[in-house]
Amino acid sequence: MVFSSLTFIYAFLPLAILAHYLTKNILFRNITLILFSLVFYAWGEPLWLFLLLITAIFDFGVGLLIERMLLKSKAKAKAVLIFGVVVNLSLLIGYKYGGFLWDNINMLLQNFGWEMPFPRPTNSLPIGISFYSFQVIAYLVDVYRRDTPAQKNPINFLVCISMFPHLVAGPIIRYSKIHDELDNRKVNWSDLSYGINRFCFGLFKKVIIANTAGELVQKYLEDGFHDLSSYEGWFGIAMFSIQIYFDFSGYSDMAIGLARMFGFHFDENFRHPYAAISVGDFYRRWHISLGRFFRDYVYIPLGGNRKFQLRNIVIVWLLTGIWHGASWNFLLWGAYFGCFMVIEKLLDRFLQKTPRILRHTYTLILIVFSRGIFYFTDWNQLKSFTINLFTSNNAIGAGFYTDLYEHVFWFVAVVLLCIPWEEIYTEGSKLNRGTSKLYGALSPAFNLAFIALSTAMLVDSTYNPFIYFRF
Amino acid sequence: MKYVNVILFFAIIFAGLISYFIGPVQKISYEEKRKLAAFPEFEMDKYLKGHFTDSIDEYMDDHFIFRKFWIDAASKIRWARGIHPKNQEKVFRSRGNLAKNPDAGLPQSSDTVPAYLDIEAEYSGDMLIIDGSVFPMGGGSPAMGKAFARMVNDYAEKFKGKVRIFSAVAPLSSAFIPVEKYRYLNGQNKRTLQAIGDNLNGAYFCDVFKYLNDHSSEKLFFSTDHHWTANGAFHAYQAFCSAAGFKAVQREEMDKKTKYGFLGTLYERTRDQSVRNNADTFVYYIPKTSSTAVRYDAYGYKPIKSNTFCHGSRGGMSYSTFLCGDNPLMKITTNNKNGKKVVVIKNSMGNAFSVYLISHYEEVWVMDFRYAKQNLAELIEVNEIDDVVFAIGMYGAMSSGTIGMMRRLLTQTGSAPPPAPVPSEPDTSAVVPANVEIKDTLE
Repeated sequence: MVFSSLTFIYAFLPLAILAHYLTKNILFRNITLILFSLVFYAWGEPLWLFLLLITAIFDFGVGLLIERMLLKSKAKAKAVLIFGVVVNLSLLIGYKYGGFLWDNINMLLQNFGWEMPFPRPTNSLPIGISFYSFQVIAYLVDVYRRDTPAQKNPINFLVCISMFPHLVAGPIIRYSKIHDELDNRKVNWSDLSYGINRFCFGLFKKVIIANTAGELVQKYLEDGFHDLSSYEGWFGIAMFSIQIYFDFSGYSDMAIGLARMFGFHFDENFRHPYAAISVGDFYRRWHISLGRFFRDYVYIPLGGNRKFQLRNIVIVWLLTGIWHGASWNFLLWGAYFGCFMVIEKLLDRFLQKTPRILRHTYTLILIVFSRGIFYFTDWNQLKSFTINLFTSNNAIGAGFYTDLYEHVFWFVAVVLLCIPWEEIYTEGSKLNRGTSKLYGALSPAFNLAFIALSTAMLVDSTYNPFIYFRF
Repeated sequence: MKYVNVILFFAIIFAGLISYFIGPVQKISYEEKRKLAAFPEFEMDKYLKGHFTDSIDEYMDDHFIFRKFWIDAASKIRWARGIHPKNQEKVFRSRGNLAKNPDAGLPQSSDTVPAYLDIEAEYSGDMLIIDGSVFPMGGGSPAMGKAFARMVNDYAEKFKGKVRIFSAVAPLSSAFIPVEKYRYLNGQNKRTLQAIGDNLNGAYFCDVFKYLNDHSSEKLFFSTDHHWTANGAFHAYQAFCSAAGFKAVQREEMDKKTKYGFLGTLYERTRDQSVRNNADTFVYYIPKTSSTAVRYDAYGYKPIKSNTFCHGSRGGMSYSTFLCGDNPLMKITTNNKNGKKVVVIKNSMGNAFSVYLISHYEEVWVMDFRYAKQNLAELIEVNEIDDVVFAIGMYGAMSSGTIGMMRRLLTQTGSAPPPAPVPSEPDTSAVVPANVEIKDTLE
């Protein structure tokens, strides 16, 4: 199930809210949250539910074992930790990268006249495994580091792992951030109101902004880019940049909002990434929970900025790239950003003196170009698209100008939503206070508009006309 | 304000939930011309594969309260995203939902609204919208024109000396896009149809393209629908008369009627506001010859009263004015006591054409090759048919699948009817859904 569906908004959510608030008993609330989360998870592919439950039981046990071992021997605790991490990573690699690895190893073997001795794994990927695997790995490491105590209550642990707001698309939640709220959380009207604001705004970003961008992406990137002019090609990847940001950040907004409605406080996952003034800055603003995971569990353990910093940066970005999908283009995407991070480190002094507007422009161009690498999983398509982007002699299609005209107000909205207003008008400033107050007063009207617009577009997306009757 | 915010939001989502239980139940979407999804029955196998929950999603989507209102609102939201200068061309790309399975949806009974089979999946392709008019892009190919001609030739060979066979295939509206850069589509349509004429052997060629092209400044096709207008069909009828040696009855000699506010299939496909604002005026002509009609199910010859025209067809259904929509087989009996009989083999494009033939024949049989299962050879023989006319929209004729269907009419099972008694009272219940709104005036 996805948040931006009629089933979720008008059936699942009201029922989940109703069940959750039937009593104030925290055990009852946790159990209902688990049950609804399992229904949510099982909606598309019920069979993966068992994998999720088995993983949760396993990690619950490993967490307890690590804590117990820490009392006796750190080496043994480390061994248990390594075992737990390896099992979780194996599941992730097996399901997510099995087919990719098989293809590439088989290709290598074929050069020597050999073949893989077992058939290719299917491409079936359990929903959300990329997110919950990292979440449990972080939990096990934190327990080992004594940053957090192991969870003793299996129900609480299952709530943490399976909670539907973050289950399928993040943010990657740090157990330590929410473990107090598992037993003891209170939701007041302000929390509910804030959660509703975030949910409605996220829904608007997903349905009105991202989906519209998606239609243009389909038109300019999917349906034969060979006939496009360079301008149209750049337009296509710019639209993909908009789509991917508003899609993902909209989903994160909805997740944060939903969590708040149920009494949990999630950290922000995006902070206006297209306002970044360097690749490093972009990294700190884009998918923050993933960046933090790699920083805390890969970059710093490798030495961080104390030793082999450039190597560490490249490793982290390669991992970030391949985390996004089992394909070489994602690895290339990560390498691309890793290289620019390294270059920025080397040219740091020069960049600091460069005017902000130029740094912002340079970063935006790099980001938009990188979306082409991200979009095309087929190597040959990526190659010919990139060549087209710089060398196409095709004339601009007549429909291009129509698309510009027909989306002009939408473009304005997109630009306004990409600007980090709260950074421009710092917290506590007169203007900031004024706009916050105004938004607070108008939030019911905004939310009504957001949900009405989104509902119309969601119903319309199911509009399925036939030329002739089909009864 | 936070209280208002929370209460308002929860009121909305709970109202949405409750509406599924107490809202009006609608089984058919006339705008989309399809059945709405039914709530699925639980089956473990389907559940484990995720199909059961998918079906619930479909149900939730299809039965959301005030669905039509939301769909209309979405169309306005799309329109509000930007500005819309006149004469801007835009390409509408299909969302790819047109049915392409020619075996789906075959009618088992014609007791209700006629069932239709969407084999004209050409409209899943790109469409050009210019100034509120939609043009399905394309123009066929001479190769398919040649294949169609071979099929018609086989008919001519089989009925040599007994029955005259005519080909009257219509071009697509894109042949007449009033923009210079798309003139090539005019040539493409022409070459395809000319390929039919060049390859006919023993059959008569009705040069529909030429007649339409000579009147290209007139309204030949609807702006919001994929069919031709009564005017376009009239020029095709003239082309037929020229080939058949008849003197065409002029429109001035017929009764003219007009309906307003016709938003047809192409509007429903595109939901574009410029198209909505450019609703067609539906003008049609009724020959003076009086007639009665019966229709038949796909199998057999049990007559069901029908009409040559359904004047009550309105709104998006206006094109069903001709022959009351598509039926597997229809027989129109006129008061021309000249003994002449014709069979029109057609898809929906042939409906507007067929009605003109009642001026010339005593019996006009209309067979929709997509649905009819009766044996055409027997029907021709038993009823002593004089002429057979293929009156078909180009794409309906231009695929190997449809050509195969037309061939099979001669061999498929079914028995020829005895001379059918003419019903005394025509049935006017026809195909018009009660909830279609239209401003209808008759001149």
